[in-house]
Amino acid sequence: MDWNAWITLFEGAWVTLWISGISIALGIVAGFGVAVLRNARIPVISKFLYYYISIIRATPMVTLVLFLFVTAPYLPIDIDRWIIAVAALTINTTAFNAEIWRSALATFSREQVEAAKAAGMTRRVMLRRIMLPQMMITSLPGLVNEMTLLIKSSPAIAMVGLADLTRITNRITAVTYEPLPPILAAAALYILMIGALVRLQRVADKYARRLAM
Amino acid sequence: MNLQDWLTVWINIDRVALGFGVTVLFFAFATVTAFIGGCILVYLMEGRPSFLKTSLRSGLDVLRTLPFLIVLYLLYYGLPQVGIRLNAWTAGMIALSLYHASYYAEILRGARVALPQGQIESAKAHGFTSFRMYYRILLPQMVLRSGPLFGNQLVGCLKDTAFLSIITIFELTAAANDLQAVYFIPMPAFIVVIALYWCISLVVEQALRSMGRYAKHRGLSYE
Amino acid sequence: MNEVLPVIEVRDLHKSFDGVEVLKGIDFDVNRGQIISIIGSSGSGKSTLLRCINWLEEPDSGSIRIVGDRVGIRADGKTPMSEKELASVRARAAMVFQSFNLWPHLSVLHNVTEAPVHVQGVNKDEAIAQAEVWLERVGMLVKKDAYPWTLSGGQKQRVAIARALAMNPEVILFDEPTSALDPELVGEVQGVIGELAADNFTMVIVTHEMDFARTISNEVVFIDKGVVVEQAAPEKFFGDPDTERLRQFVSRYR
Repeated sequence: MDWNAWITLFEGAWVTLWISGISIALGIVAGFGVAVLRNARIPVISKFLYYYISIIRATPMVTLVLFLFVTAPYLPIDIDRWIIAVAALTINTTAFNAEIWRSALATFSREQVEAAKAAGMTRRVMLRRIMLPQMMITSLPGLVNEMTLLIKSSPAIAMVGLADLTRITNRITAVTYEPLPPILAAAALYILMIGALVRLQRVADKYARRLAM
Repeated sequence: MNLQDWLTVWINIDRVALGFGVTVLFFAFATVTAFIGGCILVYLMEGRPSFLKTSLRSGLDVLRTLPFLIVLYLLYYGLPQVGIRLNAWTAGMIALSLYHASYYAEILRGARVALPQGQIESAKAHGFTSFRMYYRILLPQMVLRSGPLFGNQLVGCLKDTAFLSIITIFELTAAANDLQAVYFIPMPAFIVVIALYWCISLVVEQALRSMGRYAKHRGLSYE
Repeated sequence: MNEVLPVIEVRDLHKSFDGVEVLKGIDFDVNRGQIISIIGSSGSGKSTLLRCINWLEEPDSGSIRIVGDRVGIRADGKTPMSEKELASVRARAAMVFQSFNLWPHLSVLHNVTEAPVHVQGVNKDEAIAQAEVWLERVGMLVKKDAYPWTLSGGQKQRVAIARALAMNPEVILFDEPTSALDPELVGEVQGVIGELAADNFTMVIVTHEMDFARTISNEVVFIDKGVVVEQAAPEKFFGDPDTERLRQFVSRYR
């Protein structure tokens, strides 16, 4: 692989990174909202969210991306392909994050809730000041794990024509006629990205366990 | 989205059924081979650490940090460069089995580490050799204890089959795309296909729930 | 089988853990029909000795024979046994553990038939018939279809004893069989072991229970700091010990 090929490869890596990054950020926040909403047990909404999570859990990323891509033209506005990619990744990761947040909510210490209520906190204040800071730490290992799963399924965004780190190898091969080097180089970059997250997960695990003591 | 569109899906249900069959076939084949592969891999890593065992473990660790599609690319697009030409089906089967075997190995290894040492000693004291001990005494417990983790893995494997459409295999997602491209009915086509994926996942979950009940009956309830 | 050979013959056994010598040259014989209790403070090496006999721990030097056959080392005296050879020697000395170690995924009956069928190659129906006989003896036949988690500690240990008996071993090694039990359950397990003693099963029992050792054994062995300090019949052992160390040890348990 020559220098140009490497630059092309890094461009692909960048596409993977920023599309995944935005989706991860959106998905963590939206997942929290879904979890809190589900916890509120509002009749219709709760049922709807249950099915949303159950169905998305089973829908392949490729299928979801394609689905949004082929239905988007029927909407009255023009939608950029990167928005479709981000939307698909976010819809997917939100469902998984919601489950992670929900289990953190469900296992949150009752004693602390009572202490907060006894101190005269409203539900909102308690959620923001007492629960969220602790839940962020206990949920972090699960959230980071979900980030790695998201990046591993992100090659599906090639379906909308975005050249991510996996698809870009085809473009390099089209010039060099040697498929193996770019694929191996892409694999190495994935190992770097996901390896870093796995390491982060271990650190997060250690912190979470310390809090549980 | 009107009745006409749904009827079009119904008329072409054989295409959907074909895609469904291919997806189920890949899913079932990969589940069986990956599970058996995982069991064998954990057995190979039993006992005192050696260079080979450590390298095997690092190899599996690396495999698990890769996206499935890049493994598929490696087999389907990469290997021909060194003279190994696999057709799409073979590459798909091998990639799916190999990739998920590394995950099953990791799940089972976790359960293996948690088994009490006394189990192993009593098996040794009763004259079990290591292979027999592994598959008669250790493996059944490891499997029964790993139930919920298998659930995620099975659904993960199901979802990875959709990547096979990228290397031209006509599976369920390819069928949906085919229908929408020919008849311009994206909504019904994809809704039917997503519903089918969902059904498979519900069946898988139901199966695991029965396995959980069985494990509980045997006192191996998992936390 | 040669009646003259001791069932277990231990010679000059040494074993260290991380540089600390736990066994410092043990000589020890068990003859057919003998019931030998091994007594000693915790850390004296008594459990290690038992675990060396069936090679759960590998001794550093010395020899162990079960009815004349070396354990762990081939007849040439230096090559370690293959796993298969070791397994078949081990099966001749069954072991009952402090923590029962039943296999949780198998029913009571299958815990007992597992090794006969899958190690010794006994026909399945025959193994089941045999297992039922042994379970009857330890009073656990009614629970044959139960799984271990539903049993009390005493019941688990009785199943573990049936499991050991089912292998038709030359000797049964008991590693503190009642230490993990609640006090009210100790009696039922001791009762079962006592019945086996009355039938002249060859047994080696590592225990803390002095009264049990006194009533059940033909001989009691006192191990202290990795050596056999004294070995005698129970009356002499508890009534008129030769050494000061044993005298002190025994008096502490009065």
